[in-house]
Amino acid sequence: MKRTRLLAAAAALALCAPLSAATAAQAATITMSGSTSIAPLATKLAKAFLKTPKGKGNKVVILQGGSDIGINDVSHGRVTLGMSSRDPKPADPGGIVFNKIARDAVCIVSNASNKIPTLSQSQIQDVFSGRVRSWSQVPGATASGPIDLVVRTAASGTQDAFQNIFMGQTLRVAASATTKSSNGLQAQTIKSDPNAIGYASFAFTGGLHTIPYQGVPCTLRNAKSGQYAGSRNFFLVSRGAAKGLAKAFITFTRSSAGQAIVASDWVPLH
Amino acid sequence: MLNPAAPGFWTDRRVERLLGAVACLVLLLIGGMIAFVFSKAWPSFAHNGLAWFGSGGDVDRQLEDIFSSPSNPSDYVYELHAWSLIWGTFVVTAGAVLIGIVFSLLAAIFIVEFAPPRLARLLEPVVRLLAAVPSVVYGLIGILVIVPWVGEHLISLERKESVANVIQLNGSSLGVGILILTIMIVPIMIAIVVDALRAVPGSWTEGASALGVNRWRVTWSIAVRTARPAVVAAAVLATARALGEAIMLSMVSGSASFAPNPIDGITFLFEPTRPLASALVENVEGLTVVPFGQTLFAFAAVLLVSSMFLSLAGFVAKQSMRRYGVQP
Repeated sequence: MKRTRLLAAAAALALCAPLSAATAAQAATITMSGSTSIAPLATKLAKAFLKTPKGKGNKVVILQGGSDIGINDVSHGRVTLGMSSRDPKPADPGGIVFNKIARDAVCIVSNASNKIPTLSQSQIQDVFSGRVRSWSQVPGATASGPIDLVVRTAASGTQDAFQNIFMGQTLRVAASATTKSSNGLQAQTIKSDPNAIGYASFAFTGGLHTIPYQGVPCTLRNAKSGQYAGSRNFFLVSRGAAKGLAKAFITFTRSSAGQAIVASDWVPLH
Repeated sequence: MLNPAAPGFWTDRRVERLLGAVACLVLLLIGGMIAFVFSKAWPSFAHNGLAWFGSGGDVDRQLEDIFSSPSNPSDYVYELHAWSLIWGTFVVTAGAVLIGIVFSLLAAIFIVEFAPPRLARLLEPVVRLLAAVPSVVYGLIGILVIVPWVGEHLISLERKESVANVIQLNGSSLGVGILILTIMIVPIMIAIVVDALRAVPGSWTEGASALGVNRWRVTWSIAVRTARPAVVAAAVLATARALGEAIMLSMVSGSASFAPNPIDGITFLFEPTRPLASALVENVEGLTVVPFGQTLFAFAAVLLVSSMFLSLAGFVAKQSMRRYGVQP
């Protein structure tokens, strides 16, 4: 499944500017790889960037693979920019710079039939760490019976974000939890199990009930206004400080035009 | 001078050398692959010793710790007890192959000996077609249809609650894994056994029939006995496919690295399990974290060695049957 996704991404996402606009000598290429959560945003930003005076006549190629692949690729100089949906880690290779370009909401989701009105951080910690194991102990839950936790495997950026935002450094998700290797499989499992609860990036919550966190619904609007507390960062990672075209691209994504594109489905920086 | 298009160029000697070189390339490739996998996997085995194969702790959690190792190579975390993955691989494979042998033998006997010719002519191509269906198709049917159905209708609330403190039951289970794996491997086994039964010399079965033995006993005591090496070959091939099956099992049974416990009775079949190959494919995203990658290569090394032993065992088993057997 993963492999087909990678291939499709590699095949589909070569964005070329019209050849007539550039002479061969000026044209440069930005290559990017990494997080599947950022790829749709990066594609939109690149399209707009290639229409600006600075970007005209150049090329952007976007590959996917996961945050860690992007970070590793850029540290070895295989790509110009890596896409990371998780914060820097101590084990990351040295000499790379994380450039924040946007924020993204991470929602707590349940089966559409189980419309939980709200959860506090301590309730989320109780549920996911396995201290509370029955829906009867969760106020407002319409499901009955044991709670089914559906989470992501260790290598996922969303897993990392969930751990940092909701669980903190010491608590861990219960060992009995179901772990899935992709957004799609996780969403499918939650959709087919009325007792399930999990977490997902805002863009992947279709068909699921998003549970308000600390009384604030997980919507783009609330995340933008800063009321919704569960959001994570999107980074473009460069090897050393970004130079040349890559620098121009990062500057563009942080400009008001770039952040307007971010605002369509994600959370802008300001 | 050396003109491959010239009529006398392809002498037997030249052809022999060329084909020999190609065949040796295969050996070289396999040797290189084994060396590569083991050299990558070595740190994981070296740090854990035999405890690598033992039980203890939760594999998912150990993998998480390995994944978030500190950056200093001397501080890398390697601790792993992969028993639940190995046990899962064994139970799923053994379950599917045992059921598969019975099914495929009976189906092959029917196709060769009992089916009306028109039905046999229809069944055989259909079986071969089924053998070629990609596993991810079975996985999709499993996760969209069978897993939710099992979770909703076969697993009662009491059953879920009885093990809720240890493991979640949501339909994604050992039983479904075995079921779909059996469906996947049976066609290829049927095809092999059918060919072998067809190859049994007609005079042997005719001789028995002439003595007044009925068709079932002729088939069972002569044809099937003669075709035993083919049944072994079919089982070996099916086991190899089952061992390496990753995507489908990760979709329908691999929701947790858990070792299903046979003492749990029927619940055993509803418990999730994640075989080695599935664990490999589910975690491949973290391959770039050095110790994590080495651990994944260790999974690959174990799979590689088990499939080598498997071929060896199949070879040995066939030796003793060779005298009266027909080769497929």
